[in-house]
Amino acid sequence: MSPVERDLAHAIESLYARGVTDGLPVVPPTRALVERAVAASGREAGELVALVPPNYGRATVEKIAINAVMAGCRPEYLPVVIAAVDAVCDEAFDLHGVSATTNAPSPLVIVNGPIRGPLEINSGAGVFGSGWRANATIGRAVRLVCVNLGGARPGVVSMSTLAHPGRYTYCIGEHEEASPWESLAVEHGFAPEQSTVALLAADAPLGVYAQRSRTPEDLLPTLAASMAVISHHKMTHWGDTLVVLSPEHAKILGAAGWKKADVRRWLHERLQWPVCELVPGHNGGEGLPEHVLAKFAHPAAERAMIPKFRSPENIKLVVAGGTAGRFSAIVPGWTFSKGSNLVFRRVLS
Amino acid sequence: MTEYLDPTDSVAVPRKTAPRPASLDGKVVTLLDISKAQGNHLLDRLEELLRERATPKAIIRKKKPTFARPAPDVLRQEIVGATDVVVEGLAD
Repeated sequence: MSPVERDLAHAIESLYARGVTDGLPVVPPTRALVERAVAASGREAGELVALVPPNYGRATVEKIAINAVMAGCRPEYLPVVIAAVDAVCDEAFDLHGVSATTNAPSPLVIVNGPIRGPLEINSGAGVFGSGWRANATIGRAVRLVCVNLGGARPGVVSMSTLAHPGRYTYCIGEHEEASPWESLAVEHGFAPEQSTVALLAADAPLGVYAQRSRTPEDLLPTLAASMAVISHHKMTHWGDTLVVLSPEHAKILGAAGWKKADVRRWLHERLQWPVCELVPGHNGGEGLPEHVLAKFAHPAAERAMIPKFRSPENIKLVVAGGTAGRFSAIVPGWTFSKGSNLVFRRVLS
Repeated sequence: MTEYLDPTDSVAVPRKTAPRPASLDGKVVTLLDISKAQGNHLLDRLEELLRERATPKAIIRKKKPTFARPAPDVLRQEIVGATDVVVEGLAD
């Protein structure tokens, strides 16, 4: 083995030994690589971006840059990683719960705006898949920050029973160019020329195959049936959840004159059930919690309707994926009452 | 040898657990319900057993508003100021 090879092997193994990887090898964070990443951020190395729950490590620009280098980020990704770290540390995101829970969520980064172009953030074919450095490493950098600065070590602080593969990386762009509607970010008050990240504490995507659908009336019941089983089929009062429409599915809705708000309202109205069908023990042991059941004299006969989602606005629509294929995906949020919420940040670059 | 920068933060090290008391006799014990379904059942039973098998000075019951978030500061301060031992009940 040459001295160079020995150094490389030592670097990789010593970082494993320090317990700072996600199970895959990391790029050794040399001072030169980190300084280059800090310079590309346009910010001071010592600037504090956030404290990372649950251990509240200090995410300075330099610490974020170290983790981003390890994840394999190019220096120019730093502004996106910094915005994403800032977002997950927002109180509304509840990273403490997200990182510690026995449930499975992982922060999903959704990128909007012009920065998708120069950074080559994939929003098209295979959007949730492998093969794109920006998606792979930006999502991974956020994960490494959660572990190395937040303390979310699997089996120590992070006690998820199952977790999911998005805990290696979870980052998509919105395919704004293939959407009939305003983007997720514009819908939430940002200008089209601004770049943003939106962070959702999310379970794994559930694919919805709707290949024979040609009208909204075909497509929406199919999507709704997959949304009905989020968490479990009797879970109600759920919060922010992502519906990722493929360009072909979005086109069906847009061409028929449906706005995003129309789609949200339709789905919200469809996804409601009477109390009597939500009593624990009827069609499954799960069901309405005791404090909700207590509001009704005879829950087993009660016909009052309870919605799956707290409001239509909790159903977040994004267009992403390749332009061929009538497939969409439901990305359940970890968003029960008092839990996590979708959080936006502008990317400053 | 090349220098590698530290991706962690020294302040964010895991906390040590508090020393365990040898006995619960004469101690104030707080049973903290984290608001998970049926957590109260577990803590009810623990309270029963504690009263049967030990002689604590008092048993205090407290509840977090939600299991999904840390206990609010006010609640934490209330517990810290008034108790010797805390038992937190996970459930489901």
